[in-house]
Amino acid sequence: MSNLNSKASSMWFAQSLRLLHHELRRGELTIIFLAIVLAVATVFSLTGFSGQIKHAIVANSTNTIGADRVLRMSSEIDPSFIKKSQELSLKSARKIETESMAFAGDNMLLSELDAVSDTYPLRGELRIKTSLTQTESMVASAPKVGSVWVEPSVLSRLNVNIGDTIEIGLAPLKIAGIVTDIPDRSYRAFIAGPTVILNIADMPKTELIQPGSRITYKYLFAGETDAIETFETWIKPQINESQRWYDAKAAQNRLSRILDTAEKFLSLASMLGIVLAAVAVAVASRRYGQRHQSTVSVFKALGASISHVRKLYCLHWTLLSCLSIATGLVVGYGLMLLGVNAIASYLSLADAPLTLVPFLTAIFTGLLCAIAFAIHPIMTLVQSSPLNVIRGFSQNKVARFGWHQLPPLLALFLLLFIFSQDLVMSAALLLGGIFVSFILLLFGRGLMSAGRSVGTKAGKSWHLALANLKRRASENSVQLVSFTIAIKLLLLITVMKSSILSEWEQQFPEGTPNHYLINISEEQIAPLKQFVEQHDIANQGFYHVYRGRLSAINGIKTVDEEKDDSQEPSEATSASKEKQATKKAEQQKSRQGMGRELGLTWRTELPEENEIIAGQWWQVDDDKPQVSIESNIAERLEINLGDDLTFTLGSDEFTVPVTSIRQVNWQSRQLNFIMVFNQSVLEQFPTTSISAWSISDQDRDRVYRFMADFPTITLMDFAAIMEQLNNIIEQVSVAIQLILILVVLAGSLVLIAQVQASMEERERELAILRTLGASGKLLRNSILYEFVALGAIAGLMASIGMEIAVYILQSQVFNMPGSFHFQYWLVGIGAGAFFVGSIGMLSCWRLLNLSSVTLIRRTM
Amino acid sequence: MQVEDKTLELLQPLNLTVTAGESLAIVGSSGSGKTTLLSILAGLDLPSSGQVYLKNQPLHQFNEEQRSQVRAQHVGFIFQQFLLINSLTALENVMLPAELANLPDAQARGEALLSQVGLADRLDHYPSQLSGGEQQRVAIARAFISKPDILFADEPTGNLDSKTGQHITDLIFDLNAKEGTTLVLVTHDAKLAARCQRQVEMDSGVLTERLDVAAQTTQHSPEAETLVPQVG
Repeated sequence: MSNLNSKASSMWFAQSLRLLHHELRRGELTIIFLAIVLAVATVFSLTGFSGQIKHAIVANSTNTIGADRVLRMSSEIDPSFIKKSQELSLKSARKIETESMAFAGDNMLLSELDAVSDTYPLRGELRIKTSLTQTESMVASAPKVGSVWVEPSVLSRLNVNIGDTIEIGLAPLKIAGIVTDIPDRSYRAFIAGPTVILNIADMPKTELIQPGSRITYKYLFAGETDAIETFETWIKPQINESQRWYDAKAAQNRLSRILDTAEKFLSLASMLGIVLAAVAVAVASRRYGQRHQSTVSVFKALGASISHVRKLYCLHWTLLSCLSIATGLVVGYGLMLLGVNAIASYLSLADAPLTLVPFLTAIFTGLLCAIAFAIHPIMTLVQSSPLNVIRGFSQNKVARFGWHQLPPLLALFLLLFIFSQDLVMSAALLLGGIFVSFILLLFGRGLMSAGRSVGTKAGKSWHLALANLKRRASENSVQLVSFTIAIKLLLLITVMKSSILSEWEQQFPEGTPNHYLINISEEQIAPLKQFVEQHDIANQGFYHVYRGRLSAINGIKTVDEEKDDSQEPSEATSASKEKQATKKAEQQKSRQGMGRELGLTWRTELPEENEIIAGQWWQVDDDKPQVSIESNIAERLEINLGDDLTFTLGSDEFTVPVTSIRQVNWQSRQLNFIMVFNQSVLEQFPTTSISAWSISDQDRDRVYRFMADFPTITLMDFAAIMEQLNNIIEQVSVAIQLILILVVLAGSLVLIAQVQASMEERERELAILRTLGASGKLLRNSILYEFVALGAIAGLMASIGMEIAVYILQSQVFNMPGSFHFQYWLVGIGAGAFFVGSIGMLSCWRLLNLSSVTLIRRTM
Repeated sequence: MQVEDKTLELLQPLNLTVTAGESLAIVGSSGSGKTTLLSILAGLDLPSSGQVYLKNQPLHQFNEEQRSQVRAQHVGFIFQQFLLINSLTALENVMLPAELANLPDAQARGEALLSQVGLADRLDHYPSQLSGGEQQRVAIARAFISKPDILFADEPTGNLDSKTGQHITDLIFDLNAKEGTTLVLVTHDAKLAARCQRQVEMDSGVLTERLDVAAQTTQHSPEAETLVPQVG
């Protein structure tokens, strides 16, 4: 008996293997195989890659801050702090960070300045090379007085070599080497200028530090754990809002939060592709189920038990899943290596170990795709009645909504949850996704029907094509949604890169400032004023700037969101106010305080482009302390006229009432301030000034030559800021391109699966048309036009979607009037028609190559 | 006919001439080669040797495109499985051959024909919304729209119950008489065959002319024969 059993079991196993082998060879499983491979490879590479980045950055223990603890502030340290640290025999180092111009001959470059003391770094390694030919870098501390270490790009951009002298502020400094590793490097350097490291003793010679300059002071401490903790307990109560005390972990947490957010965004976006891959599995497995009905019925009619059939197909499907998942992992690993290679110059991931997480996530995704989306057709197949042999087989039953749609939906939800780790977000995305698909579906069907009525007069191939399109509208909708999304992404990248920024730049009227001058000392104002008057340079006057924090509203302390200030772009100038505007959405989260230092100023007269919407601007001679606040901020922080605001400037604190609320035109590129005080409040604090000039092309050289006499002033070209913005967009579009490729691949799989599912019917139609005397050209064209029309409709919908998205970007982010981009509609429609047309024709290739005699014989 | 590496002889050498305006029934049991003969006569298929002329045109020398053109201009079809295009409405299905032959007034003629077959109120219905009999009526209207010189009907009542089948038969012969079309009809239904002026019988690829038509009709029981499956 047991012998018989084992024989039976080996029989279904053998049959199952034979089935898999046979089906794979016939290409019946190709779509399912590819779809699972795509999903698994995507998830694996994404999760693996981001996991390795996180590990490389975060797990490198103390190296990331160059110390055990750091005190970061905008003014010099209280000497008692240093004294206390010495008593506890802690090691300490100093670092001053700022932005300034580096000059070499006629060239200048905005760079990040790191002035460090001789003991720097306390933890981790600063590595340099003293010649370009040197292969191994060496460990170093601060450069000698009178010399600097620079990042390699400084050499090329200033056209200098090691050994040459560059000027930083008023100090000539010799390049002694190039720096390869900075232990506490700020990852902001990806978008900011290259770093120049100098000895802190050279800082006074540069004369860059003026009262009110935007300078970050860092004090690094390291020592025995006990001593550090004692020091921490002692220092923490003495730190005010404008200072931050942190350890490596806190810094890493911030960084890893940013990485987590990026990872979450990418994985959720890639969900789009994974969902499409799953849809391809669903479509292909449905057809698979229908094709195998007769086999199962005959099996059963010949006496095979239901459990035999079930085992046979379950094993068959399991083997297919395992094979696809394994292939997916291999492909995913390859993709991950490509990614690691691509960022090797920024970050070495050589030592980062690969954890189990990406494997598990990817395998789970593959299983969900293979099981949840195929279970219904496979179960229906297994249940096929042997009576079908006599009664005939039901072909192409219309899919209806029912319980069987629950497993795929649950699977989707589960996937979303795995990637987002957020129940509400997953539910919102699922429902939102269903809603958007529904809208696109309705719209697409409307277009397909409309095309059908128009097409009645539009020649015969078009007529047949549009009739087919309409008839297969429900199947086509899925492809339509996926290609619409893909083309929309494509258009959005193109428009963003080539159009929005330039349109935004062009909308400014003549005389709009294009250069910003920062760090102007009191005695420099007079010669500058004289220069602009003499050469008739449009400018906005000079504003004193003070750096301070809003620390209390009506006596209630403001709570700052835990946020790494160093990750924020500088905001002293109006130029960077635009960046602020881009961050608006993020700041809109009702937060009690501003969470950062503000640029404060005083004025006797209301600045141009400002409008009082509540209260009154002060009289010139009114010396009662008061402040005027920008309306959006007032609204967000719920500040009203008459409220008392407390500000902290360095170690000083003062409280003033709000006497007016102003509306500010942020998009004007003028110097604008959130908080403007009357003269009496800020007058007593020492400071520097800023200004904004509109420099014409012919004046440029003259201005630059003139400014070379004032090396402590940082001259920022607006074009440079635009370049930074372009860089950011470039990086964002790389991410979008990845998603785009994924969606296009998965969408194509769905398209091919749908075409395969409709193949029998297409064959029959072609045979009828052929019989009735249709020419080969008409047949080919009717198929071609069907896909071309589908692609064009997707392109049209994508163009509309792109216009909406661009409008939102323009109105919400760039604060500019909306505009149409009809030339890109053509691109969208053309790209859609071409791509879907090609894929469609390729998948109908076999059909189109059948001779009509064969076609007719098969159908008659 | 070459199937893989074996040669199947479907038709023995035969000679058949159909003159304009006449109606001819090709009868015979399943697998006797009736449908193959019809395919060759209509220019759908080619004989491995021999000559076929339609309206004096040598079909056996024509390529696929040329034969398509001949079909579009001279030939009408009615099939057992109706063979309507599912994505087109009844009217559009009827108009199709007229459009393929570039005839004017396709729509007006289509509407007129559909009303002649009693489907004036179903113009915009799709095949899936029509019964079998209605679908075959659409197919008949389609066959006549291009005013074909010759109409080929392959078991036109084979998929219908006897009452509907009778109605369809009447329609075909009425329209045929009205339009003066030559009719070649393939059937194993003796009653249907009996309505034709001439009958030829196919048996294992051999064609013989039946002279004593009336005597044959009584010997065949149509009920018994409908059970025999069709092989085309």
